[in-house]
Amino acid sequence: MTSGPGRPRRLRLRLPRGSSRADGRPRSRAFGLRTRLVFAFLLVAAVSAGATSALTYRDARNALLKTAQDTAVSSFRDQVQQTGWGLPIQREGMEEVLRDIARKGKPRPWVVFAEYGSVRASSGENPVSTVITPELRRAAHAHPNGSFERVVRDGVPYLTIAMPTLFRTGPEGRLPSGLVLYAVMRMTDEQLNVDALLLAARDGALPGLAVALIPGLLAARSVLRPVRELRKAAQSMGSGRLDTRIAVRGSDELADLARTFNETAGKLEGSVRELREAEARARRFASDVSHELRTPLAGMLAVTEVLDEDAGRLDSDTARAVRLVSTETGKLAVLVEDLMEISRFDARAAELNSDEVDLAETIGKTLQHRHWTDGRVRTELPSGIRARLDPRRFDIVIANLVGNALRHGDAPVTVSLRSETRSSGPPVLIVQVTDSGPGIRPEVLPHIFDRFYKADAARTRSAGSGLGLAITQENVRLHGGTVRAGNLPAGGAVFTVEIPLHVEEADG
Amino acid sequence: MRRARSARRTGVVAVVSAVVLLGGCGIRETDVIEAGGPATVQTFVDHDYDMLLFFHSSDGGITPVIRSVNGGVEYGPEGGPIAGFDPVTVDTVPVPTEKVILALLHGPDEQDRAAGLGTSLPPAPSGRTVRVEAAAAGDGVEADVPVAVEGLDRTALRQLICTIAYSHDADGRATVGLTGADGASASGTCGLDPTVRR
Amino acid sequence: MPRVLLIEDDPSVREGVELGLRRRGHEVRAAATGEAGLAALTEFRPDLMLLDLMLPGMNGVQVCRRVRERSQLPIIMLTARGDDFDVVIGLEAGADDYIVKPARTEVIEARISAVLRRITPSGQGRTAIEVHGDLAVDRAGLSVSKSGRNVALAPSELKLLLHLSAAPEQVFSRQQLLEHVWEHSFHGDARLVDACVARLRGKIEDEAGSPRYIQTLRGFGYRFGPL
Repeated sequence: MTSGPGRPRRLRLRLPRGSSRADGRPRSRAFGLRTRLVFAFLLVAAVSAGATSALTYRDARNALLKTAQDTAVSSFRDQVQQTGWGLPIQREGMEEVLRDIARKGKPRPWVVFAEYGSVRASSGENPVSTVITPELRRAAHAHPNGSFERVVRDGVPYLTIAMPTLFRTGPEGRLPSGLVLYAVMRMTDEQLNVDALLLAARDGALPGLAVALIPGLLAARSVLRPVRELRKAAQSMGSGRLDTRIAVRGSDELADLARTFNETAGKLEGSVRELREAEARARRFASDVSHELRTPLAGMLAVTEVLDEDAGRLDSDTARAVRLVSTETGKLAVLVEDLMEISRFDARAAELNSDEVDLAETIGKTLQHRHWTDGRVRTELPSGIRARLDPRRFDIVIANLVGNALRHGDAPVTVSLRSETRSSGPPVLIVQVTDSGPGIRPEVLPHIFDRFYKADAARTRSAGSGLGLAITQENVRLHGGTVRAGNLPAGGAVFTVEIPLHVEEADG
Repeated sequence: MRRARSARRTGVVAVVSAVVLLGGCGIRETDVIEAGGPATVQTFVDHDYDMLLFFHSSDGGITPVIRSVNGGVEYGPEGGPIAGFDPVTVDTVPVPTEKVILALLHGPDEQDRAAGLGTSLPPAPSGRTVRVEAAAAGDGVEADVPVAVEGLDRTALRQLICTIAYSHDADGRATVGLTGADGASASGTCGLDPTVRR
Repeated sequence: MPRVLLIEDDPSVREGVELGLRRRGHEVRAAATGEAGLAALTEFRPDLMLLDLMLPGMNGVQVCRRVRERSQLPIIMLTARGDDFDVVIGLEAGADDYIVKPARTEVIEARISAVLRRITPSGQGRTAIEVHGDLAVDRAGLSVSKSGRNVALAPSELKLLLHLSAAPEQVFSRQQLLEHVWEHSFHGDARLVDACVARLRGKIEDEAGSPRYIQTLRGFGYRFGPL
């Protein structure tokens, strides 16, 4: 057993608070409010920018393609209308005409194909195109109208135009000549333009997104600022400043939250104030009672000797009564003094009157003064250990522990002294008081330092005031130390006092 | 937690759709789209010296060819006078419809055949006369043809009607009545002119 | 038996202490206020004054100062523990010792006799007057003079000086001085020593700020000299 019952729990309670403070504020969590707000903002910006870009892009692309197509179709028609043919059309010489049309192609040269009856010819190498679809061919034969179709072959877009031809038979009459001309144009330039458009749309959307980041962050900031204030206020309240309030701005949900926080804080502050006042009243009452008891006790205690001396001359009943009064007055005086001492600790009015002392000598004097030198108390006191402490309070600590051991344990009681260097903090002085009794029962251990705690319910009053160990603990704490109770493996209680040694900073 | 996840899911959906909207891009295929009328090419028909004969082409339609009556002499397929058809010096212009009908019935010449043209009409039996006269009413035309009308298919009838119509009238809008050697009759208009239909 | 003047406002304490001391043979005069006590001083001629600090009207500290203006009458303060501030002021005003109430009569009497106990010369064959620098200490006559002029010392101051000068250059811890000079338990109030040293320095040192006779050894205590 290395630690007492109360201490480690308090340590455990403090650690998380300490560690979270040490880490500082966790600025950006993985999916913190800020991240989510900025993300949402960016999302909206991305969707609107994307949609706008996409629609603009589509319109622009269609306009671009339409222009190219319309130019191609009308110029193809114009070119075809320039050509003259005899009917039936002869295979010979056809390619020359087609090449001529192909050269004049707008916006770019075409490959021109001709179909007449079973005659097939082209301006290119193959008389029959692989790009022209049966649908286009069928449409050209079914309706004497110009028509076009965009075809993608092996990733290359082509514009294919079908142009059926008529000829004039009379002033008004027109007859299909049976000749259908096809133009095939690669749309690579258009593709480049469209790709450029796409790039432009993307390049417009991305900076838009980046720009949207700034209002996003600002919006997140404006939302987060009240949240941050709230956290600071809560932290401040947690550290004990109960009068913390938040400035309420506006009338949004966060303002409601701030208002609620303020109301709660107000109520909490009120409750705590009431509790503190009640506690202070209780303490003042105990202190006042002790004070008031002390004056009559001072008078009574001064005359107990008179009673004791004269008791022998009285009849036996009166003598017993007188002696009882005398004894109890003494006990009452001790009790009142102890109560006064505890009140001072509670009121934090206890002062440390430190002096630098030799510890072996100090403990020796304590035992000697109490006449515990007859072998009931053994000592292991190495000389030369000096410490700065309040001699009167240290005397009370040792006397109470040894007295307690003698009262509740069995002799011999051992008082041992040593100093120990710790890895962190100053070296500590360790005083152990062990007895040879049965030890402290486990259920009693957690309460051993409680005020007026009776280890044995049957024993309503011990020789002490019931405050001895509580006062001991307060005195050790006043020195910045700890006192723990435990049992030895072989039986017997052991009380361990640890007080940090401050030797160098001594001052007269 | 659930709300965060669903928010994330909508975010992902939105981003994906935006990407699709942007990315379904480039140049896509289209259906066949009509774009304006046909082209009128420079082919001239001299109504006085040219005949328009209609043959059927490989795709099932009928297609006109222009046969000129050069120097008043009509040449047969071999370059000489048409067989079974007296080389007639045509001294009347335009070419009489009777002669045009006989030329049609004579069938495609070598050039026509080279372009894949053919006829659905049977060859004309010799000695039968062709008679054409304007119809009693309107701008129609009545023709007695030297083939049996009964048993002619649609293409053959259209060949006859169109040839007669465009011979009778440069715009080919006359209604043609046919009476065959077998006494059967048929009538109709050519209807190949897209401007009329419109 | 010493004559004790008791100044205490609370009747029960006054009566109890008076009764206890009288039973032990002391001649006691009790006064309820500081003014009454001071008035009784010349007429009663006490050997010692027991002075309650909390008095109505003129308080204990003021009484103490008034007495010290004229005489070196031994003064023991009666205080309640917790009135720490008053104790220090009282000691600075010239009180020799203090007793925490409530106290048994035997404790009070022991303290009275300790304060009154004469310092017996430690060595028989010594000359009566020792000279330390400007200071002349007459152990037999119990008087001290500096540069030929008599220095009036309160009993605690005189005893402290005699104790320290009896063993020049020897260091005494506060606790040791409490034990030997004040006859307190070892764990007494070291402020008693400090206050007394301060008063003594004010009377015998040339400069109280840089003491020559009563020197402080930080962390250990006090010593006399070396000069």
